[in-house]
Amino acid sequence: MTRSITDAAIRLSPIAIVLGIWQLTASLHWVDTAFLPAPAAVGRALGQLLSGNEIRDNLLVTLFRALAGLALATVSGVWFGIGMARSWVFNAIVSPLVGATYSLPKTAIVPLLILWFGIGSTMGIIAVYLTCLLPIIVQTYHGVRATPAVLVWSAQSMGAEERKILWQILLPHALPDIFTGLRVALGFSFVVAISAEMIASTKGIGRLIFMYGESGSYDFMFAAVASVVIAAFFADRALLALSTRSLRWHESHAGANPGVAA
Amino acid sequence: MTGKGDEQANLVRSYALSTLSVAVILIAWEGAARAKLVPDLFLPSVSAVLIALRDEIADGTLPIDLGVSLYRAFAGLLLAGVVGVAVGIAMARSALTRWFLDPLIGVAFPAPKIAFLPIFILWFGIDHMSKILLVAFSSVFPIVIATYSAAISVNRLLIWSSLSLGSSRPMIMWKVILPACYPRIVAAFRVAVPVALITAFTAEMVAGGGGMGATLMYAQRFFESPTVFAYIVTMLVVGLVFDKAMLVIRDRFPSWREFN
Repeated sequence: MTRSITDAAIRLSPIAIVLGIWQLTASLHWVDTAFLPAPAAVGRALGQLLSGNEIRDNLLVTLFRALAGLALATVSGVWFGIGMARSWVFNAIVSPLVGATYSLPKTAIVPLLILWFGIGSTMGIIAVYLTCLLPIIVQTYHGVRATPAVLVWSAQSMGAEERKILWQILLPHALPDIFTGLRVALGFSFVVAISAEMIASTKGIGRLIFMYGESGSYDFMFAAVASVVIAAFFADRALLALSTRSLRWHESHAGANPGVAA
Repeated sequence: MTGKGDEQANLVRSYALSTLSVAVILIAWEGAARAKLVPDLFLPSVSAVLIALRDEIADGTLPIDLGVSLYRAFAGLLLAGVVGVAVGIAMARSALTRWFLDPLIGVAFPAPKIAFLPIFILWFGIDHMSKILLVAFSSVFPIVIATYSAAISVNRLLIWSSLSLGSSRPMIMWKVILPACYPRIVAAFRVAVPVALITAFTAEMVAGGGGMGATLMYAQRFFESPTVFAYIVTMLVVGLVFDKAMLVIRDRFPSWREFN
């Protein structure tokens, strides 16, 4: 136990070192604190943000938009992916749309969505939904397509009906790929939710960051950015933990590795 | 069992169906717009969009905007490529660098970089520099991680053999390690190119200062819907073209890939 704590301390000490140097440059006035507020000042601002309504009214709104869009995209993306993998007719109809929109820089549709739905949560959720849909469709499709036909044939020969094959063979087999898609989509969901708020919104952390920037309260601006970084980090870690848990039975799990660079 | 002829027939049928699906959507769109089922403001007809596209290409606004955006995206990408490969190699070669950068990258990698835009504007102004640096910041991490994991897994035998044949350290870097990392770096660039494009476009939409994104927002604010659609179509085509280009680059040099 103590060993793992020292290990963690050694691993995380660079973050402390960077914060220390940053604080030092501010305390010794090497850089203008108007441009780079000291970490202590940012920490104080973050404390005030957390104790007031700002985080509740803005970061939580952003998280809600990102996660609602992601959840809807997961459900329909998996459904589309399975449909495309299982039926060549459906695949032929849908795949040109998927192929064409896959590499569209997704925030481009935000102005269009503003035109159609106004500014607010509906627009944000739809923008996130459309963005997250594509990686999930593509990954699900690949995962289902890669299912060995032998598995499906054996199940069929033993009398399993289509529904059972879907739940017991195709979906479990595609699960690692679906999680890959989900991790990409999670990153997208934050980027698009925040971008949409920066472009036009009355609420949300993206708007809050800009508002602080415009009013010159830079320590609060940095604190709001820090809150986004922290939220995105823990969301990513939560998803990784979920995927490691759900894939415990899978052979890829043996080499599974939560570290980013390791 | 399906024979070769059957397979070809299936391919033809699925192409036909794909074409049909796109045609139906375009015709339904044009029809709905012409019949005024939806106001022009929300959905201009396909023909109106094409006319807007032609006019904007003809009077030079779209090519100039595209040039500005692509300059920002690719200047940032170039910077990210140089820094990312250097940092990735440094992490693979030195335990100290790895120890120092690993947690920082771990925190920065999942962060939505666009949230840093106001900070970059504060530091580097609203013109090219802040956007180029934000693009570089957004796209550097996949390149670092790919280079690092490729460099750490270079076959030791290759390095030992060239050492025993008398290669110098820089030579090993240029002739062995970098070529061995090349396929993974190209794969990382395929991830980084769309990130660079989306970051450049979004930064322009938020902060203005010319380029595709800025004009798109401007058109939306003045309810010039055909222009909005024309710009979105252009961005879509640009995204597709660069993705295909990355695939071509990847497949151009596969010869020694099995080697590693």
